[in-house]
Amino acid sequence: MTLYTIRRSWKSVLGTILVACLLPLAPVLAQDGGDRAEQMAQLKEMAPAKGYVNAHKDVEQPFGLLGGPITATIRQQSGGVFVALPDQRELDPRVFGTPQMPRALAGTPGVNGVPLMARAAENGAFTVMSQPSPFGDAFVAMGNGRLQLDAVDATATDAARSDDEVSMMASWEDEGGNTYEVRCCQMLATHGMEFPTFGGVVTNHILHGFTRIGTALMPSEYTYVAFWGMGEVRKNGDVIDRPRLVHGMLTEYVRKQDYKLAFDEEVTPTRRHFHLMVAPFMPVPEEGTFEQNPVTTGFTLPNGMELPFWHVMFENLEIEASRGAE
Amino acid sequence: MSYKTIVLAAIAACGVLALFTSAADPSLPEAAVDADLGSAPDAVVGMTNTLKFEPDTVEVTSGETVEWRNTSLFVHTVTADPDEATLEESVRLPDGAEAFDSGTIEPEGVFRHTFTTPGVYRYFCIPHEGVRMYGTVIVGD
Repeated sequence: MTLYTIRRSWKSVLGTILVACLLPLAPVLAQDGGDRAEQMAQLKEMAPAKGYVNAHKDVEQPFGLLGGPITATIRQQSGGVFVALPDQRELDPRVFGTPQMPRALAGTPGVNGVPLMARAAENGAFTVMSQPSPFGDAFVAMGNGRLQLDAVDATATDAARSDDEVSMMASWEDEGGNTYEVRCCQMLATHGMEFPTFGGVVTNHILHGFTRIGTALMPSEYTYVAFWGMGEVRKNGDVIDRPRLVHGMLTEYVRKQDYKLAFDEEVTPTRRHFHLMVAPFMPVPEEGTFEQNPVTTGFTLPNGMELPFWHVMFENLEIEASRGAE
Repeated sequence: MSYKTIVLAAIAACGVLALFTSAADPSLPEAAVDADLGSAPDAVVGMTNTLKFEPDTVEVTSGETVEWRNTSLFVHTVTADPDEATLEESVRLPDGAEAFDSGTIEPEGVFRHTFTTPGVYRYFCIPHEGVRMYGTVIVGD
């Protein structure tokens, strides 16, 4: 490992979650910073899907989806959206284990696993994230939500190239009349970094939670269609951040009463909603990992700080899909 | 922006969450009352940004009318139709009562229903059945 890599990793450690220096409960961490950096690099390298991604990322002629491509269109033409705010996610023991037998530790913290030093002790147990993340119970309602997603899932696996396609435009308004917009994708993530992306679009698959495909902080959720790609963030029509890693997914309903984020056993499989994520991370392709990189959202919280991500839910949906058509 | 700033922002953001999530919903807007609906309703229920029917329970007598006002930014429904429910607990109808469904109620929209069969009705909002957006109407003789 080069010094450059070590420095970069440590920067990423700090950038990912400011926990190592704040919490006394990090048994996986040694006492000096060098060891911390090396251990964080190991955590990232140990992301469970790394081997899969490495085996597929250079494939030039991947197989197509069994049975032919699936085309999906999702729209929201009226109604509001739920915008997630930073919050400390409670940790589902089905996904993260118990204090006696913790799991889902490896990978870039928050992107994939959650190491012990990012878990807070509560009544003597690791039961909650030590720091706020985009995945919690807090939200704000915003109006005039619009969504248009046209996606084609043609390529089955991660690969160097893909026939998958995505065109997405999503927008919403704050109470001051400002319009926020996300567009995607100038480029699809044809393969993942720490977890698979299935050519950029995946259909009819379980993601998140125990699967470790995407953050484990979201519940394990059946996903009808999802995509990952590079897009852009706009405010009042002006591009304010580009390129950004954008992820969208139509899933079963993973919120419960008071819009709290569910544990695995609490999801409602018979209802669906669409999640849009502009992550406060950017891929580092040469390392096959991620580093902290806050999004310029243009949305100012009442304390004057800027929201560093977009995590937006659309729930007044029209859904169409067909199989075998190109 | 440094990450320290981001972390501080995130932590500070948590401090203001209550401003967003616990703020009282706006009072029912008079503009939501459609004059064409005729006489005043016997009970009024709001539909909120926090995915609640407020109040969640109202009492009327047979022949009286309840009005629902969508005071939120979201699209809601008032649905007491077992065929539209995906959870058994979402709907309760008294014996002999007819099912009803408002269809989509856009923000600032209004829906009325007149109850003629006494008993206890549990209804729900279709897009927010997952968060158990439920309400109850108790109809007396």
